[in-house]
Order: sequence, then structure tokens, then C-alpha cells
Amino acid sequence: MATKVNRATAVGDAPASRHSPELLLGLYRMMVKCRMCDEKARILFKQGKYAGNFYSNVGQEGGEVGAAFSLREDDWVAPSHRDWTSCIVKGAPLKACFAQLYGKTDSPDRGKSTPAHMGYPELHIITPASTIAAQLMIGTGVAWGLKRQAKDSVVVSFCGDGATSIGWFHEALNFAGVHRLPMLYVVQNNLWAESVPLRLQTALTDLSDRAKGHGITGVSVDGNDILAVYDAATKAIARARAGQGPTVLECKTYRWYGHSEIDPAKYRMPEEVAEWKKKDPIPRFEKYLADRKLLSDQIKKQVRDEITREIDEAVEFAEKSPYPAPEEALEHIWA
Amino acid sequence: MARTITYIDAINEALHQEMERDSRVCILGEDLGMGGGVFKATAGLYQKFGEERVLDSPLAEGIIIAAAIGASLVGYRPVPEIQFADFIGDAVDPILQQAAKLRYRSAGGYSCPITIRVCWGGGTGGGLYHSQENTTWFAHEPGIRVLAPSTAYDAKGMLIAAIRDENPVLFFEHKKLYRTAKSEVPEEPYTVSLDEAAVRRPGRDMTVLTYGYMASVVMEAAEEMAKRGVDAEVVDLRTLAPLDKKTIVESVRKTNRCLIVHEDTKTLGIGAELSAILNEEAFDDLDAPIMRVTGPDVPPVPFSPPLEKFFMVDKEKVLAGMEKLAAY
Ligand SMILES: Cc1ncc(C[n+]2csc(CCOP(=O)(O)OP(=O)(O)O)c2C)c(N)n1
Ligand SMILES: [Mg+2]
Repeated sequence: MATKVNRATAVGDAPASRHSPELLLGLYRMMVKCRMCDEKARILFKQGKYAGNFYSNVGQEGGEVGAAFSLREDDWVAPSHRDWTSCIVKGAPLKACFAQLYGKTDSPDRGKSTPAHMGYPELHIITPASTIAAQLMIGTGVAWGLKRQAKDSVVVSFCGDGATSIGWFHEALNFAGVHRLPMLYVVQNNLWAESVPLRLQTALTDLSDRAKGHGITGVSVDGNDILAVYDAATKAIARARAGQGPTVLECKTYRWYGHSEIDPAKYRMPEEVAEWKKKDPIPRFEKYLADRKLLSDQIKKQVRDEITREIDEAVEFAEKSPYPAPEEALEHIWA
Repeated sequence: MARTITYIDAINEALHQEMERDSRVCILGEDLGMGGGVFKATAGLYQKFGEERVLDSPLAEGIIIAAAIGASLVGYRPVPEIQFADFIGDAVDPILQQAAKLRYRSAGGYSCPITIRVCWGGGTGGGLYHSQENTTWFAHEPGIRVLAPSTAYDAKGMLIAAIRDENPVLFFEHKKLYRTAKSEVPEEPYTVSLDEAAVRRPGRDMTVLTYGYMASVVMEAAEEMAKRGVDAEVVDLRTLAPLDKKTIVESVRKTNRCLIVHEDTKTLGIGAELSAILNEEAFDDLDAPIMRVTGPDVPPVPFSPPLEKFFMVDKEKVLAGMEKLAAY
């Protein structure tokens, strides 16, 4: 996982970075990995390789990777429907991730949950329900337990802009505030909740202001600037570990595709989509790295080739993995 | 050593003893710490175990249950409380969509051993929003136990068993029983099966299926009917989910007649399911149609005393039902 070295980087007369080259390249590699896995998941769905649906995270990798990259194995993640890639960041094997899409027995839930609702108990990733914001409440309960055990583990939850309107979001924040819980609430504000634009969701400009009403820290960052997310997240996580309480971290970003793979998203203006695609977090970070002489075309190709191989293997594995026997529907109801 | 104590004291004792036995047991809910609970079910716990383990929660039913679920994922055995069943609405998603399904949706990767105590039931002048029963909202859902003990003995033994059980449990405590139900209860901790109904009164002529406060009403009616020459078998369901089909079906096969008595409104009350089970599994043994004495299909429970009396099933209504079934 991530190195936590924070020493300055300066190569020749290139501009310095406050982060180590290992960390920067690690973040880069993970962003590309998430992008490629997600695009692959979309293609496989379009090819009819698996049933159900998929909720693409493409365009939002800055938030997804930046927030979860520094987590330790004993930390927890509470993902939602658009956070299949957060499992990859936390370290779940790609084979399990693709088996999840296929609903096969090698998925962590043996095909019980839908493709995008992935958990991974060994890595403390909470298997999500579809109920928006439920993961925030359960994650908050986990944080309560961790705090009572005097552990310095933290919980990072993900949700969208729409999720900040529902009561449970606020019940969770309020409780976390009262008990100064080790929670990081990442709000991936992608401007749309399915087909509802942000202006009909809230009168706020910055969703981090939701934190104020609960007496906790709120921060808004450019979600397409991975280092801005990484820095804000690591700061919040350090505060959480030190017992200084929860943080709401809003990542301002954009959902490139439809709400799901069956949504053509006709309700959005093509200009808006085109404008945001220009703000793609990956080329932006590539430029940052190239300016610091940390990234060449050769490294880029190498990264992509490696990930392609890993994905191909994972997809082959998922396709060969058996489906659960029908009667498995009867299992795992009672202890 | 057994002594006679009330239903609420039995619950209080179970909580004290389980918290002493297992440091993972903790409780949270509204007014249950410093105040000891609106009915004093949790009296003395805060003083003995402190805020660490006895938490006065914010007034928010959703997070009461969800915080318990989350804490159970890191090894705790929380016993959250819903002060009145009438206010469980905000916690329905956490209960049904989270607690009841966590094991299933993770294929056993996560387990959620929480025991949700809920105060329910009418007949105490509580009116529309302090009298409701909503056990069947939850009994419909696979993956969560729904218990409704009717005696002090069961209240203690079933609560202890529930806290030790790996499944999520809804433990419905009838507020009218809190101080009226008394029984011989051992001082030491013990458990009562969470899978079995109890035959409270063996009989030959008809089976009466019931639970909760109604169990005591039905027992009185059954004694009265014995004087009138009808020997009724009273089965106290105790657990509404999963149902103990074996005891229910065996009893009706023996008596060949069945009356179902519940306080809940009639339509889609647990009586509908019981009747369907008997139809499937004991049809040939029935000498009469299955009959029901239940609350009427009106919002439970209207306040004014005559209205409440109209709503509540009482001994006279049960007797009328038993007479009708016996005469068929
Ligand atoms: C409580 C609840 N209401 C409605 C839905 C249906 N639904 C699923 S995702 C979604 C929109 C979510 O928007 P947002 O929170 O912004 O997340 P995003 O999809 O943009 O990542 C809706 C309405 C749901 N799953 N849960
Ligand atoms: Mg959104």
C-alpha cells in the first residue's frame, strides 16, 4: 500500500513536490488502475458478460484514490454503489473484484450482492446495501466501536452529493460529532444524483458546510486534483487517529457517464460533459509528474501494460469461476 | 434461588448479569443511562457500568440501531433500545435492510449480533403513538429473530439467550406486562430457547395460539372455559420469527380446532400466517375453520377510554371466540 514518506522531491531544476516519488507514482498507478478496471467493467457489461448493472466511477478517481490510498490494513472502508474501485484501492485482489461483477462463487459474497455493491471482510470493507447513506451510519458505528477499543484505526466512508440530503447522513454526522469519532466522510460531489442536478439537491455551494451544523470539520477540495484530495484526507485521517474527531471531505468532481450503464443521461448538456472531460484527473496528474521528470511515455506504457495483464487474468478467472448452486440462496440467512 | 419478581425486574436483572459476564455487551438508546429508562428497565446500569457501556444516545432512532450494528462488526454485542415501538420507523432501514441482511449480503463474511429491545403494546392509555404493535413488519423479514415474551421467567431467559445469540434479534417487551406479569425467576443467569413455543396449558378441545400480553388474557379465559366444560390448550408463541411450526402444528393435530388471539390489527397480523401454515400442514386434522380474535383494523390505539376498550382484546372477547369455535 501507500508509503507514507513525505519528504520533498526535486529532480534537477524541475519544480519540487512535497511528496516522495514513490508515493506520487503509487498514486498515479492506482488512479490508472481504477480507471482501467472501471472501463473494463463497463465494456464487459455492454458485452452482456454479467447481469445487473454497474455504476461507473470514471472521472472521480482523484477522490476515490486520494482518500483511501493511505489507509492501513486495519482501517475500514464503507463504500456505496459507485465505489467498486475503492475496494481495489484498499487492496482487494482484482480476481475477487471481477468475480464480484459476474456474481460468481469467487466473489466475496458468492454472488449474493449486485456487481457494484462489493465488500471484502478480510480487508474491513463493509459490504454495502443499496440504501443511500446507510453505509455512513454503519461506518459511524464501526468508528464508535474502534474508538471505544482505544484503537487508532479509522473509517473512511464514501457517498455522493445526493446522499447528503437524507436524514441518515445527518444522524451519522451528529453522532460522530458528539463522540469525536475517527471517521472521514468523503462526499464525491459529481453534481448529479442520478438525474437530479445539485441545484435541486441543496441550497449549499460547498457540501462540506453540512459539517458545520454538526460541529465537525468540513473541507472542500478540487476532487480532480489528486494531491489536494490526498493531502486533505491524510490530514483528516491523522486527526482522526489522534482522537481529534471526524471530517467531511467534499471532492468536487464529475460523473463522466450515465448514473449507471443503462442510463444514457440525456438530461445533461453535452457541453457540460465535454467541459469536465477536459478536467480529467489523470492527464492532469501526468502533467504534474512529467513536469517533475517523474513520468515518461515509457513508464506510462509500462504501467498500462502491467495493469492490462492483471485485468486480463482477473477477467479470465472470473469467467471460469463457477456460479453458485441455486440452493445457495438458502444459505447465510441465520447464524 | 428463585423468587417472585416482575417482568421489568427480570429484564433489568438480565441486563445487569449479561453486562457483568461479558464486557462486550453495551447498551444505548434514549434516556436509558442517567435516567434509567422511561420505564426503569435499565435502572442502575449507568451507575454500575458507566457511560462507556451505557450510552444516552441522541434522539435519532436510525443511528441508535446503526451504531449498534457497526459496533457489532468490531466485536461488541450491543443491546440498543427503541423507547416505543411507535417510533421505530426511522430505524426500519437499519433493522431490515442492514442488520437482517448483513450476513446474507456478505455470504457470512459479517455477522450482526445485536439485540434490539423495543417497548410495545396497548391497554395502558398510551393513545395512538404509545401503544402500537409492529412485530409483523419485522417477522416478515428472514434473518432477524422477533421475540415477544409473556412472562417474567421468559423475559429474563430469552433476553440472556438473545444477547448470546449470533443473530440480530428484536426483543419486544409489552409495557402492560412490565409490572403486572410476575413469576418465579431464578437469581442466577439462565437461557430460554429462542426456537420454541411454550404450551402454557395442555388441553384437548381446542388450541389457542397467542403471545405477549394476550397470553395472560387467554390463560384466564381458558380457566373460565374449563369451568364451562371446554378444555383449551394454550400455546404461547414466544418467538414470532422464526415460528415454531412443529409445536403449533402438533397441538392443532391433537385438538383439531384452532383459535388465534392477538392484540395486533387483524389484516396481515401474525394470525394470517399461522392460519396459512395450518392450512398447509394440518388441513385434514381440522374439525372447524380457524378463527381469529384480534384488534380491529383501525389505527392502534385510539385514546379515549371507551375507544381503547373497543380496540383491545379482553377476556370477554376471547371467551366469545372460544365459545363460537367450540360450538361449530
Ligand atoms: C434511500 C435511497 N433512495 C433512492 C435510491 C435510488 N438511488 C440510487 S443511487 C441514487 C442517486 C445517488 O446520488 P448521489 O448520492 O449523488 O451518488 P452518485 O450516484 O452521484 O454517486 C438514487 C436516487 C437509493 N438507492 N436509496
Ligand atoms: Mg452524485
